[in-house]
Amino acid sequence: MIHEENAGKGSAVNAVPVAKSPFTHASTSAQAAAAIGAIPPVLKEFNCPLCNTLSYSLNELTKHYEECHPGSVVPRIVVLNINGKDCEVLIEPHWTLKRALQFRLGLTGAKHMCDRGVCGSCTVIIDGRPVLSCTTLTVECEGKAITTVEGIAANPKWKPLIDAYCRWDAMQCGYCTPGFVVSAKALLDRSPNPTEDEIKEALSGNICICGTYPRHAQAIMEAALKLETEG
Amino acid sequence: MADLVGVNGQREHFRVVGKPNLPGKVSYALATGVAKFGIDFVVPDMLHAKILRSPFANARIKHVDTTKAWQLPGVVDIVTWEDEDIKNLGATPFSFGKRRPWLDNIAEHEGAEVGVIVVAENLDICEEALRLLDIEWEIMPHVIDILRGREEDAPVVRPPELQDIPGGLFTTPPDENHPKRGNVSFAITVQGDVDKAFQEAENIIEYDLKLPAFASHIPNPPASVAWWFDDPYEGSGKSLHIEGAVQRKDSIGAMYGMPPNRTVQEGIFQGGKYCDWGMRRSQEITPLLAKRTGRPVRMANTREETFDFLMKERYMYLKVAYTNDGLITAVDDYSIADGGTQGSSSFGTSGDQGYGPYYTLRCLNIRQQMEIVDSNRGKMYLSGQHCPFNWDAGTMAIYLIAEKLGKDPLEIASINVHGPTSQEDKNPVPSFEACIEAGRKLMNWQWHPARGKRLPDGRWHGMAFRYQICPRHAFSGYDCKLELRDGVVHLPTQGPVTGIFAVECNAMVVAEELGLEYDDIKVDFDYREKFTPVGGGSDGSTASAWAMKECANILKKMILEAAIDEANNPPPPSLFDFGRPKEPSPLKGRKPEELDLIDGRVVVKDDPSIGVPLAQATRRNLVATYSGRPPAALWSLGRGKMLDTMNTAYCEVAVDEETGEVEILRFGVVADPGKVLRPTSLESQIDQVMYFSQGCQLLEEYVYDERTGVKLNNNMVDYRKPGMLDVPPVDRQFLETRAGNAAYGASGISHSLANTHLVIIAIHNAIGVWVDPPATPDKVLRALGKA
Ligand code: FES
Ligand code: FES
Repeated sequence: MIHEENAGKGSAVNAVPVAKSPFTHASTSAQAAAAIGAIPPVLKEFNCPLCNTLSYSLNELTKHYEECHPGSVVPRIVVLNINGKDCEVLIEPHWTLKRALQFRLGLTGAKHMCDRGVCGSCTVIIDGRPVLSCTTLTVECEGKAITTVEGIAANPKWKPLIDAYCRWDAMQCGYCTPGFVVSAKALLDRSPNPTEDEIKEALSGNICICGTYPRHAQAIMEAALKLETEG
Repeated sequence: MADLVGVNGQREHFRVVGKPNLPGKVSYALATGVAKFGIDFVVPDMLHAKILRSPFANARIKHVDTTKAWQLPGVVDIVTWEDEDIKNLGATPFSFGKRRPWLDNIAEHEGAEVGVIVVAENLDICEEALRLLDIEWEIMPHVIDILRGREEDAPVVRPPELQDIPGGLFTTPPDENHPKRGNVSFAITVQGDVDKAFQEAENIIEYDLKLPAFASHIPNPPASVAWWFDDPYEGSGKSLHIEGAVQRKDSIGAMYGMPPNRTVQEGIFQGGKYCDWGMRRSQEITPLLAKRTGRPVRMANTREETFDFLMKERYMYLKVAYTNDGLITAVDDYSIADGGTQGSSSFGTSGDQGYGPYYTLRCLNIRQQMEIVDSNRGKMYLSGQHCPFNWDAGTMAIYLIAEKLGKDPLEIASINVHGPTSQEDKNPVPSFEACIEAGRKLMNWQWHPARGKRLPDGRWHGMAFRYQICPRHAFSGYDCKLELRDGVVHLPTQGPVTGIFAVECNAMVVAEELGLEYDDIKVDFDYREKFTPVGGGSDGSTASAWAMKECANILKKMILEAAIDEANNPPPPSLFDFGRPKEPSPLKGRKPEELDLIDGRVVVKDDPSIGVPLAQATRRNLVATYSGRPPAALWSLGRGKMLDTMNTAYCEVAVDEETGEVEILRFGVVADPGKVLRPTSLESQIDQVMYFSQGCQLLEEYVYDERTGVKLNNNMVDYRKPGMLDVPPVDRQFLETRAGNAAYGASGISHSLANTHLVIIAIHNAIGVWVDPPATPDKVLRALGKA
């Protein structure tokens, strides 16, 4: 599976990885794990973001820039630790983490809603803190542990949280939901038995246009109980 | 009315339907983030595209020079409105007669898509290329203030070539008796003898109200990715793969001459629509760009580019005659409504005159006159949950009459709402009566006049009430299919998934009818399938569930017949019969009418202990189909003049006179959707519309620079939606009168609870002055003469 925006010219483009029914915890967790597994740890192909010319090393790409795009900022490789996995990512310096996750790594659980740091749909966890990936530069993330919703979904420990979200319908269209789940996980990490007020506070940066707000506290408190009893 | 025609429409006992906390069939995909929406798709070798957006409120491109843009490395294609490919592009359905080209050189609002599309290796290059276009603009005068736009000396803002193009099925039809004048079209409907009724009136009130514009806010910005591919199964020529078209896959395919079988789309997640069903250009154009470039092309709206209207601005001037008892005898409604740009929906303008609050009244003298003003404010694509948008003009009449007469608005409403069959019908509507009664209890309703109650903390207490019909306006037909495969019931569907849990309602009905559990019904999503459970919001769910109920009973009959046939004629033993009982089936010699399906078993009705599990009863693969629709909804027959299922909503506020701050203490909703199919999502749908109502009355507002016509706050920082800490409690109660005529007497709650003035009325009840929405603290203080 190739996730790079311009990679794989001429490849079989109809192999789109879409979620397939039936959607159970097992099947979706496996799909999330597969998305993480598909991220190549080391880059072997380097497509020029400006003209799509393929190089096989960063040096080769740099030379191509000198020859064909003098004066342009050469992309760079950053090594990100995503969901416990180190991976090289070819980015331009102004790229946000959200953009890198979607267009380089194929992780689309972090959603684009406002793109301005107000809706929380793109939330990821960086070094234990919920962070908005649409307003975080990728270059700032090197050396930090990044957890996305796929990492939470693929980790069986968090099944009670996902189960509770589904049981309580803490979603309607579901577009904002991964952002809420990530914020909820960050909360439960630091406060395993949150009160309703703590939950509201922790999720106050997440906007749900479908108005699911009252559902989240129910789901998170149920999950907290289960997580505690299951150890 | 009730579900008298459908099989088991009068069912009394429910095991599955109405049960809470049954996870949605796609919930795990959504919660884990593996669900992909149109904007999420990224495919190898993909190009990006962007359409030029106008920096001017009303302008025309006279000439564009693309030379510099073409020179930018990474630009792959530039298409302009003059290109034959664009000129030849058909539009999706919903437009007939003379059509506006898919893209032209006229921009009727700031941010309108106009003239040029750029395709490039990445998004940054697209944006840079658009900046490099040398464009000669003709800037035309604009109208942002519709009160100014209606004046005789206002500039006519709609260019001549767009004047006679009907925008589509849902745009304002011209009123032949009142020809357009300047920017103003007219829509006038009259019932009864309004002037005479006013002459004879015992009392008259006059008031005005302003309906605010409200932003669409589809959570997932519209986007698509398309490419063409060789499909060996479909013969020569390319087939189209598009992601992000969702519900309109086939109509977009049709734009490019592709039949459904050659239009592939695997994604099913459409995101929230809130009745904004209109397709955006970013969802329609990618197939053309992919064809031209030979590569997949993605186009996505930014959030800034999604600030279309869910509701357009309107000024309403009302004169209402009423008796000393509070019975309304005449309504004269004069409205000045934003007609928006060419092609804007007529919902919010003339479309509201077909039905609305006045037709639920016993009052027979109703005049609605509307000026629809062309403007450069923006576009409304189709509909919105507040629709019909004039509803709270009626809510206000009831409140004001109550104030004048010193009576409770609930009482005034009860006097005025007509009976089930017509405006002349004086019988009570059972659903309405039940809602009112339950509402009194839910809210501990103790009416007080304006400025009549202070809270212990010194703030003023205000309360408000409104009623509405719960209309089922979904009128689509449904092509249902159910399969029994290896003893398991499958419900195949193309989706889409829009957040209304429509397919889940269908699955619950199937489980109910087949004596199975909800989890026993496997929903198979496949774009090639015909069945879609959507056809509106919750009303579409109840309508599709009605058709699916018929289908389930067809399958049931087939199962029972097959079970008896196999019991009578057991198939010869086979190597693969592991686990199958060898002894004769207890169903042998029975007749279908003697059998039933209960708890996953085919049993003998008279003695359900006799039976066999479904999986053993027949090994056949059975396919049942049903194409049809429930009987016409009462709403569509009566348009408010016939009443079945109703709802009531309540609001309590506290207003601080010193700061101008308004706190909604709680909303209350008593709704009769006829029959509750899936309570958990129904509750959420109510919460959502009440938060929309809160947003439009307290927080949300479009801000324009009048001088340039530029929108100043089309982003989620400056146009604020309510968040977790903003929303009040919503106390809800459901009634089930079974008076609708979709599945089991259900109607749904679509287009019934979102409102523009419930909070505003409660504020008036608190402080005795009117504040136009959104009632921000500065406006409240100004209304109180304190700022
Ligand atoms: S998309 Fe990042 S906060 Fe909204
Ligand atoms: S579930 Fe639709 S935006 Fe939250």
